[in-house]
Amino acid sequence: MTTSLLEKILDDPDALSVRFQPIFRLRAGVSQVDSVEGLIRGPRATNFERADILFDYVRRKHAEAAVDRSCIVAICKAVLELPPELRINVNVHASTLGHNPGFADFFRRQARNLSLSLDRFTLEIVEHAPTYNIPSLTCSIRALRDLGVRIALDDVGLGNSNYRMILDCHPDYFKLDAYFAKGVTHDADRRAVVRSVMCLAEEMKGSVVAEGVQSSEDLATLGQMGVELFQADLLCPAMQVHDLAAKGFVGLKMGSTPATRVAENVQAFERARQKLLEPAAKQPLCQ
Amino acid sequence: MYDFEVTGIWQLACPLMSMAERILIIDDDDQLANAYKEYLSDCGHQVDCARELEEAQALLAHFSYSVVITDLRLTKLGFGGLDLIKHIRELALKTRIIVFTGYGWPELRAEATAQRVDAFLRKPTQLKELAATVGALVGVKA
Repeated sequence: MTTSLLEKILDDPDALSVRFQPIFRLRAGVSQVDSVEGLIRGPRATNFERADILFDYVRRKHAEAAVDRSCIVAICKAVLELPPELRINVNVHASTLGHNPGFADFFRRQARNLSLSLDRFTLEIVEHAPTYNIPSLTCSIRALRDLGVRIALDDVGLGNSNYRMILDCHPDYFKLDAYFAKGVTHDADRRAVVRSVMCLAEEMKGSVVAEGVQSSEDLATLGQMGVELFQADLLCPAMQVHDLAAKGFVGLKMGSTPATRVAENVQAFERARQKLLEPAAKQPLCQ
Repeated sequence: MYDFEVTGIWQLACPLMSMAERILIIDDDDQLANAYKEYLSDCGHQVDCARELEEAQALLAHFSYSVVITDLRLTKLGFGGLDLIKHIRELALKTRIIVFTGYGWPELRAEATAQRVDAFLRKPTQLKELAATVGALVGVKA
């Protein structure tokens, strides 16, 4: 009997593979890997290897909760190969938290079984549909925070990662969607949106992570606006653990990992960093 | 609408057509789908396969297909192929649709016809017939 794609994803431990993409902390004189995001790929050599197609399918099957758990199992196993001090970001659907009160306990057991410290983890909440069970969502988030897990809100500014979700999740990290970073240098409206998100984050004692920055110019602009955390292919694409280590992104003591070790990927970053090193007095965002 | 069951035009088909099209085959019979995929790939097309409605919908959301070839019965209990055809038409895609099915029920055919299916083929479909139907729909001469 043949199995469906969903059954394969849930039952075959090798169906899902994990890549990690570094999140860099860049500011004048500082360039280091702050954390890595664990990213899932579907069955190899299929169209569903691409995460966007895989999770489109999963959402159509209404199987987010079950697949999120499989993803966490896969990522936790892969994390064992990373340096123990490195922080890890993991994605989870808001609906998984909103409809599964046992999720925090599942996550705790999973980490405990692999002797992973939960305070290394940041849970990135993603949502592509309205989350109706807000009390259950906030209850799950509270349980996760009690375990030491930090919370990030993904794709801030798009879709359902809206003001309500910001209030309900009270994220430690506001992950600014690539849409707002693209062309920010020459777009005053985009800069206004970025400023507003930064202002929100500052007021709520959170940090902004700019995702998907595509040019060193935009990187420099966002840096000058006060963004310090960046996750972008421009700096380093998602890759397997051994590739990250081979390229020098992980494996060194945190706080001293120079992203500049990877010449082919960071030339653009270096140029932007030089711009950041130039004196540029930051204006207070919230007055 | 083409009806190759009637015309038999498929007999003129050449397996080596020159224009590559992206084609999506939906069938829960892996063996059959893979045979169609292999043949159409040999004809120069880029072919994807899906086994169920949701797989097909996810692929349609990310790729542009010239032709969708679908069985009507995608599960043991239902006729997901009809849902897929409706989905494609609701999206107003320019995709041409070929239905192949082992079921000759007139009411099913009528419903599929109402959804502007471009061609019907009866299972098991000969490979040359399938290739010819694809070629005719995308305007490729044999």
